Parts: sequence; structure tokens; C-alpha cells
Amino acid sequence: MNEKVIAVVTAGLTTPSSSRLLADQLAEAVRDELSGRGIGARIELIEVRDHAHDLTNNLLTGFPSASLREVLETVAGADALIVVSPTFSASYSGLFKMFFDVLDDQALAGKPVLLAATGGTERHSLVLEFALRPLFSYLKALPVATAVYAASTDWGPNAAGLRPRIAQAATELVAALHNETPTQADPFKNPTPFEDLLNS
Amino acid sequence: MQFGVFSVGDVTEDPTTGITVSEGERIKAMVRIALKAEEVGLDVFAQGEHHNPPFVPSSPTTQLGFIAAQTSKIILSTATTLITTNDPVKIAEDYAMLQHLADGRVDLMMGRGNTGPVYPWFGQDIRNGIQLAVENYALLRRLWREEVVDWEGKFRTPLQGFTSTPRPLDDVPPFVWHGSIRSPEIAEQAAYYGDGFFHNNIFWPITHTKRMIELYRQRFEHYGHGAADQAIVGLGGQIFMRKNSQDAVREFRPYFDNAPVYGHGPSLEDFSRETPLTVGSPQEVIERTLSFREHFGDYQRQLFLMDHAGLPLKTVLEQLDILGEEVVPVLRKEFAALKPAHVPDAPTHASLKAAAERAHDLETIE
Repeated sequence: MNEKVIAVVTAGLTTPSSSRLLADQLAEAVRDELSGRGIGARIELIEVRDHAHDLTNNLLTGFPSASLREVLETVAGADALIVVSPTFSASYSGLFKMFFDVLDDQALAGKPVLLAATGGTERHSLVLEFALRPLFSYLKALPVATAVYAASTDWGPNAAGLRPRIAQAATELVAALHNETPTQADPFKNPTPFEDLLNS
Repeated sequence: MQFGVFSVGDVTEDPTTGITVSEGERIKAMVRIALKAEEVGLDVFAQGEHHNPPFVPSSPTTQLGFIAAQTSKIILSTATTLITTNDPVKIAEDYAMLQHLADGRVDLMMGRGNTGPVYPWFGQDIRNGIQLAVENYALLRRLWREEVVDWEGKFRTPLQGFTSTPRPLDDVPPFVWHGSIRSPEIAEQAAYYGDGFFHNNIFWPITHTKRMIELYRQRFEHYGHGAADQAIVGLGGQIFMRKNSQDAVREFRPYFDNAPVYGHGPSLEDFSRETPLTVGSPQEVIERTLSFREHFGDYQRQLFLMDHAGLPLKTVLEQLDILGEEVVPVLRKEFAALKPAHVPDAPTHASLKAAAERAHDLETIE
């Protein structure tokens, strides 16, 4: 069976965290949507918290540790991404941003991304549009139109309102997956010939 | 194989005493380190070039000329010479001059410099780093090889009927290494000219260094300079030694924890696993250094960083004694025994001069 790799990057801090809860629901919705089309899903879950020290070290030394390198390669190699950040001080969390700061800036080019965020109050929901979306546009990813925000009330009285938003976003992500993902040129396999460098 | 030390020339507080040496003391300490390197039988002393504090060596040929006058065997080199922000005309002149004064004991390592603000101080832009390295070095080569140069490029004022003086010693330009940590373009440049390629791997994991060196070796062969395993490779290393491993770790840890670049980040143990850093007994340093060959192939130059992060001069000189007495003699023997006959040594002034004479004789016969 045809299989798609979906990397889920979630930056919640507590256990359990509402970001992780949202990440799991999004991943399941994407799996259902894919299976409805006869496509398998391999979900690669990445809790950014587990790599907090390695991320700091990477910023300081300029290179990832062996275990962080594996995670970054998983993200770069995935067919699509689901990203979830808690809302901190009116934006994505610093830890969430650090992950994408150390990721190669070409790694997400052309990749469909489902944007999601959590927060204490729904008043922050536009964080998805003014913080997350520009970040992923900069990284040349393809964020799908529906982004999902879950506030505290979405886990209680408003849960019925959250589910269709999750389903809608999952449908859009799977639809975007059918577009060809451009592959990245490897400068080590195909170096620019020196004559071209001399004449540029 | 050549063994040596490279000094970045940082002025850093000694975290164990709170003492920060003056710039003058640091400059003199670098000279002492170079003299000691020759005394303990090392082959190369290389120094950095920087134009911003906390680094002192802004004028490498002044310092290397001063060292040349007090030494007789050691090769004087750079780590690195800024090919981007220096005028290639001045590099051609300065290092030809040094070559004469040092009787040919000179080579250079080109580097771009990774500090953004330095570029505009010299009228350049870091975004042009690769193009500057390509154009400036192409001009530098011509200045050393052609008596009269007419030249026009993008970054420097044109030259008409220009002769760089003095001419290189014996008309043999200094050997050049190109240093780059992450740019395949520079590995390509070194391969194109058949120059040396140095990977300063001290802050980088082996997997990355391996890709850079493999690319350089493949392209060296592609451009017809010899087989891939005959390309001229140099590597960095970072060591701290005491008779007992635990003593070395205990003494070095505060310097590691507070060092520029990687301090306040990974633990000494993690960093030692990921990079060539080896803190331990001389035997551990020998074993680790010998293992580089298994990853990168037979190589020609091994430089160690010994004097950064505020280590006092006295400690550095002790380290050089251990390096020269207990480590390098074993490494020389072991590396020589493993190296196949067709793998060349690093070029020196004498070998380049002999090669030029052979080429000239061949031309005369034909």
C-alpha cells in the first residue's frame, strides 16, 4: 500500500499538554483521511521538549547532536507536517521557534503544513495567521488554508466546534499531498562546477 | 605527515583565576608558543587573522616575520587568511615578502571569515563571500605567477601593467590550503586548482567533515590532479592531556564550560563524542588522532588547537611538551607505516621548487 510520512512537531511543555492532545487528534484525522483514499500513514511524532537541550546546544555550537540530527532528517524527509505550538506572549513559544531555527532553511520547501496552536483563551487565535503562517511562508512551505486553534474551552463545552475544524484542516492537508513535492538539490552530489563559479 | 598547532589568538579570561592577559601579553604568548612548537619538533605553526576584539592577530605577517627570525625549521602558516576582505594584491605582496625572509618556510590557508560586521569595515558584504573568495583568489594566483598583470574584476579596482613585488621566492608561489567548514564551493575551488583542503573539524561531527572531504577528493580527481586518495587534506584537532585521564578532565572542564563558541552549551563528554575534542591521557590522544585516518583517508597535515579559552601560557607550553615528546613521535611512526607509497606528503617550498625545475627541464628537452 502506498504510504505517506506525516511528521508531527508539537511544542507543549506539560505532560499531558493540550498541544499534544491537539497534535494527536490532527494526526488521527489525517490518518483517517488518507486511509479513506487507500493510502497508509506513518506518523512520526516529535515532542520538541525532548530535544530542548540539544536545540540550545545546536544554536551555540552550530551543529546538531546525533539524536537531534535524526529528528531533523525525519522532518526534512516527511511528505507533510503538522505543527502545534502553545501561544506564549502573543506568539509561538520560543522552544517551537528554536526547532525551526536550527532546521535547514530549505528543508520545508514545497512541503504541505498544517498549522495549529493552543492557548488559554480564544482571543489569541489569530496567532496562527500573524505568527505561524508568515514563519512557514518564509520557509517556503505550503501551509494549508485552514489552521486550527484550540483554547481551553475547546476541550469542554466547545469540543463539538473543534472537531469539524480538525477534519477540514486534515482534508486540506491530504489534498495538498497530491501535489508533487519538489526535491532538494544536493550540493555535495552535484557541486557547481568551478568554471561556473569563476564566471558568475 | 605534518603536525602543528594553530592559534586563533583570542584574549579570554581564565575562568579559574579571573585573570585576563593584556593584548601585548597575548601577542608575546603566541610567539612563545610558536618557538616552543619548533623546539618540541612540530612542523607547522599557523595563526588566525581577526579584525575584531577579543582577538589580537590583525597583522599576521608582522607576527610571522618576527617568529621567522627566531626559528629555522618550522613552517609558518595561517588559519586563516581572509581572502574576502583583504586586497589580494596586499596578500600577494605580504606573503611573498615573508617567503623571502623565512627562506620559503611559508604557506597559507584561505578562509572567508564568518563575522558579518567585519565585511563592511573593509567595504565588502558577507553575502558576496563565495564570489569574493573565488575572484580574489583567482587574481592572487595570477599575481604570483605572472610578471605583469592586466586585470579587471567585480570587487577591486582594475590593474594595468601591474607587477607584484617582491616576486615569490625562486618564482615558486607559497602552497595554498583552502579552509571551509560548510561550503561545498570552497572544496570545489581547492580541487579545481589542485590546492590543499583543510577542514577545521574541531567544532563539527565526523559525518559532516566526511562529506566535505569526500567531495574535495572526488573533484580533485575530476580535475586531473591525481587520484582521489592523493588529494592534500588537512584536519584540525583539539586536545588537553595529563598523565591521568581524570586529571585532564578535571583541569580542562572549567575552560571548556566557559569557552568562546561552544561554552555554556553541550557537556564536555557530549562534545568529545561528537567532535574530535580529546581530553585525556597522551595515549588516548594518540588513539583518537589515528582514528581520523579511518574516516577521512590518509591525510597530510594535522593541526591542534592548544591555546584558547583563557588557558595560561604556562599550561599551554606544558601541553606542547607532552605533544612533542609523547604524542607526535608515535603518530609520525604509526601514520607513516599505514600510508601507501603513492599518497604524497604535503607540498613544501623545496618540493614545489624541485617540481618546477623538473617541469622546466622537460620543457627544455622537448
